[in-house]
Amino acid sequence: MRTLWERLAERFALLSAIASASITLLILLFMAYMGLPAFKAAGAGQLLLSPWDPYAGMYGVLPMIVTTIRLSLLSLAFAIPLSLGCSFLITAIAPAPVARGLRRMIELMTGIPTVIYGFVGIFLLVPLLREMLESGSGMCILAAAMMLAVMISPTMTLFFCDSFDRIPRSYLNAADALGASPIQKLFHVTLPSARAGMLNGVVLGLGRAVGDTLISLMLAGNSIDMPQSMLDSARTLTAHIALVFAADYESPEFSSIFTCGLVLYVFTTMTTLFVRYYGRSEAGRA
Amino acid sequence: MRQRGVEMLVTIFAWLSGLLLLCSILAVLVYLLVKGYSALNLTLIFGETDPWQAILLRERVFDGLFPAIVGTLALVTLSIIWAIPVGVATGIYLSEYAGSFSRKVLNLCFDILSGVPSIVVGLFGFAFTVFLHKHYSSQIKPCLLISSIALSTLVLPYIIRTTQAALEAIPRDIRLTALALGATRFQNIALVLIPRSLQGIMSGVILSIGRCAEDTAVIMLTGAVASAGIPAGLTSQYEALPFFIYYISSQYTTPEELGMGYGAAIILLIICALLFALAFVARKGLSHATLYRP
Amino acid sequence: MKKFVIKHVAVPLIAMTISALPAFAADIDAFRGEKGEIKISGGTAHIPVMKDAAQRIMSKNPGIQISIAGGGSGVGIKQVGEGLVNIGNTGRKPTDSEVSRYSLKMYQWAVDGVAPVVNPRNKVKQLSKAQLAEIFAGRINNWKQLGGVDRKINLYTRDEASGTREVFWEKGLSKGRIAPSANVVISNGAMKSAVSQDPYAIGYVSVGHIDRTVAAVTLDGVTPTIKTVQDGSYPIARGLYSNTKGTPAGLTKKFIDYLYTPSGKTIIKKHGFIPVR
Repeated sequence: MRTLWERLAERFALLSAIASASITLLILLFMAYMGLPAFKAAGAGQLLLSPWDPYAGMYGVLPMIVTTIRLSLLSLAFAIPLSLGCSFLITAIAPAPVARGLRRMIELMTGIPTVIYGFVGIFLLVPLLREMLESGSGMCILAAAMMLAVMISPTMTLFFCDSFDRIPRSYLNAADALGASPIQKLFHVTLPSARAGMLNGVVLGLGRAVGDTLISLMLAGNSIDMPQSMLDSARTLTAHIALVFAADYESPEFSSIFTCGLVLYVFTTMTTLFVRYYGRSEAGRA
Repeated sequence: MRQRGVEMLVTIFAWLSGLLLLCSILAVLVYLLVKGYSALNLTLIFGETDPWQAILLRERVFDGLFPAIVGTLALVTLSIIWAIPVGVATGIYLSEYAGSFSRKVLNLCFDILSGVPSIVVGLFGFAFTVFLHKHYSSQIKPCLLISSIALSTLVLPYIIRTTQAALEAIPRDIRLTALALGATRFQNIALVLIPRSLQGIMSGVILSIGRCAEDTAVIMLTGAVASAGIPAGLTSQYEALPFFIYYISSQYTTPEELGMGYGAAIILLIICALLFALAFVARKGLSHATLYRP
Repeated sequence: MKKFVIKHVAVPLIAMTISALPAFAADIDAFRGEKGEIKISGGTAHIPVMKDAAQRIMSKNPGIQISIAGGGSGVGIKQVGEGLVNIGNTGRKPTDSEVSRYSLKMYQWAVDGVAPVVNPRNKVKQLSKAQLAEIFAGRINNWKQLGGVDRKINLYTRDEASGTREVFWEKGLSKGRIAPSANVVISNGAMKSAVSQDPYAIGYVSVGHIDRTVAAVTLDGVTPTIKTVQDGSYPIARGLYSNTKGTPAGLTKKFIDYLYTPSGKTIIKKHGFIPVR
């Protein structure tokens, strides 16, 4: 009874699914394929573990990897307390209308483009840091981390709030029946049950911090040195790609950006897998 | 007693974080408005050219944001045109047709895809272009078409997920009713399920539009340039609003140009805010329109 | 006396100007009725001239579309060599291997220099070449060592694709090391913005781009201006080149020819460079 149209439509749905899924694989393949010259020329070890110095023939991306790690961890260090506090506020502490309004505002904030954070960062944050710290140009890991934290906090807050909301009502009712105050309920019932969801939120925030390009490109200074402190100018993997990408097609420099792309892809895939499997096992337990 | 102390600390901490977050974002917005307010006028968008002539594409606009705005609009429209059919169809396949193994595999792929950083997607678009350029036709270069395809792969996971979630949220009895009356699977989907899930799909689509409008990393590597005028066709290079903001922030030569940057940032914010409001309205309004047909 | 001046000076002058006017108009006329696209990328120092010329051509000829991108000299060579753009601009002469690899044709249309610059508020505006090398290598790292305030020197340098960087490194630093801790910016415009915003910055930029927002540093007694570049007293000079793959034809050829016409030269001079004969 299935007409030709229906069969075509179903075929189309299948093809779309296959095409979309294969994009994921294609990205990986292209990164590997285009990065092949670099691997052949230098070997994976040297690429990942040595510094970047084209004039000395070194095309390693170690400083970029270290910078990405430092930047994302620092921004998480700012963002986690901020998001936790806001989610506490919305879920337990603020009166209901205030909490609703706050949540609406935070939902709006997630729509602000990243380039705007970078833009304002250059003209507002960087001179401020430069004067306050009395050294350096103000363009450093700290500046980028602060802006990055402001950018990922709304998303993380909403994620935390959602995982708090998913707790079975019966738990909360039980706590109320025993006479718990809102904060006691928060700490003794909500937080322990939402642990998996919160960890997921943190890992997602980490993924966003690692993958962000504009803020680190505009605010972190982009020097090729290995950063010694958070006040140093430094370059992340993402900024490196943006800076070097159009330089040359076959040179080892160009191929090195595919190494960066590969590292980023592998890292975000690992965080995705972690979120899936850890979330699933925790949900199974709870 | 100690408990009271702890509770007070937590309360203070929560209010402080809320205030801090709000104040930071407000600082960003207010700074932009204050600095860019004076630049907001027709000259910002159209330069020295007459607005009507520019809109009717009779005259070129130099020194104005009009080409960038048109470029962004064209880019977003194209990306959505590629992304909606493929994304919705995949979402439908996932929720209605897929077996459990393929569902697991597909879900894994899309989860990974949604986590890939935007610059890696841009790099992929660029690598793909170079590959095609070398092996198929030397006419293929970074352009509007390639950018829109790359951008659509960026938002594909959003559309797929929201479609799938919207479809799966439909209660079982509604799913089965049409089938019980003799409809085919496809008729069920097209006539019953999709209209019910339209609001979810629409809000996913509108959020994707917002994502396309604000993205910079992908278009930087696949065809956006500093100066190109209105894109003449799919294979031309183009200007875009977020790219303009990035470019101007580091390379302004006069205070007027910097003012244009602030103005562009405000315009981009307005566009994103409008899209967000639209998504909200769509979520509330579309369900009413599709289900309560008079 | 007045009659003499009018007869022998003013009239010839006016006649010459009037007869030159058609020449000015004729430069753009070469494009009349043309349609097509020109893609340009490469050196960022060239961008103001390219934009100006493109604007003039496009406003008279709506059928022509000219798109201009930056990226640096390395990008220009690569993209024109791969056929992604029609004209690749470079701020340094393409090397022999580049020329033979991509069959490049070079067209130099201006002379420019590369000058070290500091923030206008900086008291230190004179350096010797040796000091410059020490600063960029990171060995002198505080302004007070040079007679300025007690603050760390913030170094700004260009990315690897930059021809400006190549010229500065070769002729200004005698191929000395640039400290890896230097902040990296991606164009001449970006260098100017960075140095003009940071009171403790030092960087280097195309001489044609220097304006009130940055202060050129006098090197070994010679102030970098377009004049000192022209008469050779300022040593860090370079040519501005537009390169094409093979001999240019059609619209591309007309665009390059336009740069050598009188109106082209006016544009080049207006943006601070010295047109080449």
